[in-house]
Amino acid sequence: MALLNIARPGANFRAMVIFITAIPLVFVVSGLAIRYAAFASISAEPTFEAYARTLCRWDCSWYVGIAEKGYERFPIANQSNVGRWGFFPLYPMIVGMIGTVFPFPTIVVATITSIACSYAACVVAWPLLEKNVRAYVLYCAFLLSGPFSFHFTTFLTEPLFVLLTSIVFLALKRSNYLAAGLFSALLSATRVVGAFVVFATVIQMFKDYRQQGGAIRSFPVWVFGRPDLLIAILISPAGLFAYILFLYLTVGDGFAFLHVQRAFGRVAGNVFLYLWEGLSAMPTAGWIPTAPQWSAFAAIGGLALCGVLAFRKQYGAAVFCAICITLPLITNLASMVRYVVGLAPLTIMLMQLLSASKLTWLAALALFLGACYPMTKAWIGGYLALV
Amino acid sequence: MPWSNIAAAQSRAAVLGGYALALALAGAEISILALAVHPKVGPDYRAYYIDRTTTCLNRDAVGSYTIGETISFKREGHKQANNIKVCGWSGPAGDGTHSLGETSRLRVNVTRPSLGGLKATLEMSAVLRPPQTEQRVVVLVNGILAHKMVLSGKEPQQVSFVIPQAALAGAKTLEIAFDYLDGIPPTRSASNIYKRAIKLVSFRLNETGEKLSPTDLISGP
Repeated sequence: MALLNIARPGANFRAMVIFITAIPLVFVVSGLAIRYAAFASISAEPTFEAYARTLCRWDCSWYVGIAEKGYERFPIANQSNVGRWGFFPLYPMIVGMIGTVFPFPTIVVATITSIACSYAACVVAWPLLEKNVRAYVLYCAFLLSGPFSFHFTTFLTEPLFVLLTSIVFLALKRSNYLAAGLFSALLSATRVVGAFVVFATVIQMFKDYRQQGGAIRSFPVWVFGRPDLLIAILISPAGLFAYILFLYLTVGDGFAFLHVQRAFGRVAGNVFLYLWEGLSAMPTAGWIPTAPQWSAFAAIGGLALCGVLAFRKQYGAAVFCAICITLPLITNLASMVRYVVGLAPLTIMLMQLLSASKLTWLAALALFLGACYPMTKAWIGGYLALV
Repeated sequence: MPWSNIAAAQSRAAVLGGYALALALAGAEISILALAVHPKVGPDYRAYYIDRTTTCLNRDAVGSYTIGETISFKREGHKQANNIKVCGWSGPAGDGTHSLGETSRLRVNVTRPSLGGLKATLEMSAVLRPPQTEQRVVVLVNGILAHKMVLSGKEPQQVSFVIPQAALAGAKTLEIAFDYLDGIPPTRSASNIYKRAIKLVSFRLNETGEKLSPTDLISGP
């Protein structure tokens, strides 16, 4: 509470900095304690490495493989059809590079790096949350001690994706297109959907242009007349293109990251059919929704939140988030919960909405902290909805 | 030169430099895209990943095989069976190895005492989901149609057929492909790589001149 008071309007700059940096730190510690307790309840090995290894589930092991061994060529060893090509390189590259400096196992380095990324993502979100103290506390709790905090603190791309998304949207908020473009390039090397943040950049350019009184029809002329804008747009997908070139040179197929999805059983299909199949996968006993139902709820809820973003005139963020949900949905509902909770513009707005009244804020905070323990156990136990 | 002119010249240079960088970025991205739409991959890669014309990704796998030897596809025989499985198999489970996808392949280097004909004997059962009552399987040896069968019931059936001479002509390696016409996907929208059709229990090749036991002579339809 003392921390909350020092962040009130009128507080001095130093106090504000202490608040902004201390709040996520508090939740780093509480989150570690809660998740470790969940781990300790099922493990007899009380080490940080064992904790980090236990929380490394599903895609995490692929990223460990990339950080340690890089990408394979074709044919893949051990008669496998599934190459690592589907997993984007930036985050495992960063972890791999840090790992060369520190003499720790990859998963330990990755876990610490992920916590650092999520911490930084919280700090970057402060201005995006309009310096709303309650929303900031809630956002930090959500990322670092919340029900899905394991996604943001283990070796998945979510920690870096959330951080880079926040930086891009902060740069756009400040109309710094070149910075937005450069960080978009990094985002596009983190996950394939990162490339689509370029639409948010163009939308922000259009918004700024219109605010300056420009006519709609002459917008392209304005963009072509400004080389800095052209560079910002063209550099945004540079990370994706660099990865395509790398795959072409190593595998012979620049789109191997897409084509390998076949080996994971992902096939392009009818989005509505996938949603219907998910919703209609009723539980055989009890009332708790099944994993496909949770995934369908997450997709629908995420798209609804995109609608709210659009209603609040955050068109760029709405378009970006809608693409980030719809694109994987074309192939099936797998990982949908993780994809939705990893969309910073959505969660930032949700935290603002939940902070509108003190009661909802307190309830959400209690829910986040209370759900961290059972959800971490579910993650460790391999609950499919959390994949 | 007045300062204003220097500033203007620098500004012009910055603008030109900006356009040059934008052009370079656009050029690089278009070039990479042009490379990517023309992949340099082999036919097996193309068929499985790009064209999706097969669910069975061909590999170099080939196991050695001596005529008369029975290879078990149950758990106890997995070491030997793994050597001859090329693709399209999952397991073994307790009582056999499931087919996976629309085609499965086995490949063997055959050591033959003579150059006579060969007879294949397979023990296999159908994977069925009501209302489906049968599985149609087409067997090709070295690309030549060898046998068509219809499996019904959940109990394993022994199926024997003579491999056509055309498939054997001078061949030391036999590639046996199973095409499943009625594979069952786990869900309506699931990928065809997950289809199930049969469970293979054992595989054997005999020379056709060899005297066979009565059970060997029970053949599929």
